[in-house]
Amino acid sequence: MKSVITITHPCEVFCSFTMSAATKLHKTSWCALRQLQQYRTKANFSASSSSIAKRNELFNQEQKRQRDAVGRIDKIEVRYLGLPEDVTLVMNANISTPYNCAQHLSEGHKRRSALALIDGSVPWDMHRPLQESCTLQLLHFQVSEPHVVNKAFWRTCSFMLGAALNRAFKPEANLQLHSFPGPNIKSGSFVHDIVLQTRNWQPTKEEMRTVSAEMVKLALEDHEIERLDVTQDIAQEIFKDSKYKSEQLPSIAQQTHGRVTLYRLGDHIDISRGPMVGATRFLGKCTISAAHKVADEGETDGFYRIQGVALPSGIQLNHVAFGVLEERSKKLNPARLPNEPFEEHQQLQLS
Amino acid sequence: MNQADVSKLMSQLRIAIRPRHRNLKNKDGPEGRLLKLRKTVTALVKHERIELFYNRADEARGYAELLISNAIRHGDTHNATMEMADYWLLEKQLVHKLFKVLVPRYENYTVSYTRMFNAPRTYPGIYYKNSVLELRGNPYPSLIVDQSQNKNLLHNVLLDEARKEYRRKKLAELAQ
Repeated sequence: MKSVITITHPCEVFCSFTMSAATKLHKTSWCALRQLQQYRTKANFSASSSSIAKRNELFNQEQKRQRDAVGRIDKIEVRYLGLPEDVTLVMNANISTPYNCAQHLSEGHKRRSALALIDGSVPWDMHRPLQESCTLQLLHFQVSEPHVVNKAFWRTCSFMLGAALNRAFKPEANLQLHSFPGPNIKSGSFVHDIVLQTRNWQPTKEEMRTVSAEMVKLALEDHEIERLDVTQDIAQEIFKDSKYKSEQLPSIAQQTHGRVTLYRLGDHIDISRGPMVGATRFLGKCTISAAHKVADEGETDGFYRIQGVALPSGIQLNHVAFGVLEERSKKLNPARLPNEPFEEHQQLQLS
Repeated sequence: MNQADVSKLMSQLRIAIRPRHRNLKNKDGPEGRLLKLRKTVTALVKHERIELFYNRADEARGYAELLISNAIRHGDTHNATMEMADYWLLEKQLVHKLFKVLVPRYENYTVSYTRMFNAPRTYPGIYYKNSVLELRGNPYPSLIVDQSQNKNLLHNVLLDEARKEYRRKKLAELAQ
């Protein structure tokens, strides 16, 4: 069978990053980025580039509208708790983000903070404007209680996997992103469910490695992850050319009082409840390990579940131990399958 | 054939030494430099953890390593070693500490006796790099966090689950 993935040039995979299957992210170097950019082509985007441009345009418009709607600027007091000392920052309501607070603290806070914790309990994206006076803690992956930030990281990995798949597949594969289930670290893998116009795709090692390389490229490019709450109508407009997203939107909006949370990374937009980590550079070691055929869809298509395992940058793990994790991440993830009804599962979770 | 094994004649240090010493600019010239380093080595043996400029710390580290290494090799009955200890330790009660406390502590070590960390520079401060120099096995709390012990870190969660799954599989095999 002909490959549906544009296999990355071998020298790109091997020389730029690593010699092993476990694509390890080295320290971002401008040189590496320059090397990567010559291989990037817009042509291998699976969804047509015009529809991506349209989505981004709508996203930008709505983002601008929301920024303009702030009007008179109110001041809020943000009480920062943590190292080097507790301080009170006077910030702008609905404009300043935890990232801006980190900018006031130090370069290190800015670089290291992956997620913010508001009032000691509410996880808050680094680039989401603060609404009222609150206390603020900045989290990274080595805090003593990293559950919240780990979960956000796992969710971000699923989201990034969507973007990487979008880049990797050729247009003739007719890739459509379906959704990704909530993060479950204990299952050993993060997941993205997709629909392909083929029923017997059996990915080769090179194809999986190419997707892993795309993930590493995303991390090297260091995209900021933006969050935007929109109404259901705008979300429908943005995802009007995506069959599965339009189907999911009503039930999502119903749970969240008509608001839908969108996330953007580069030019890739997806629906997610959040929170996510602040930027793609937090992805360290990453391997996309398996693609499982889940079910048939329609006349010609099939549901596939793509799985992988990743570690945050800054966490070192030797390759033998990481190999064990890679092996485990190949097993089919037990999360809700894309062909199972969404509402039923929600009720199961609530009960 | 008859050549002596050099590594047995002199102490082999367990840290990387630069090919050439640093001059450590001083108005009194080389003597001033040595006095500076003697003060640093004395402070290190006395306080066991000191914070100072990187260059001076790195330079003094080599002398401190050599002093401890020789003290372990030759003991307190060796004239040359005693002279060396007398030279490098400005406070003479520390000579006792060297032979009675540090030598027993480091006798069975297979790693270096000292440890160095980069320390943050104050902003806006002076240009020089800061560092922390410490003796291993000192009584202070550790400067680096031990990540292997925190079960909640992402890699530990993943490894823990992998281990559990492996055990379940083995138990199932045994039950058959």
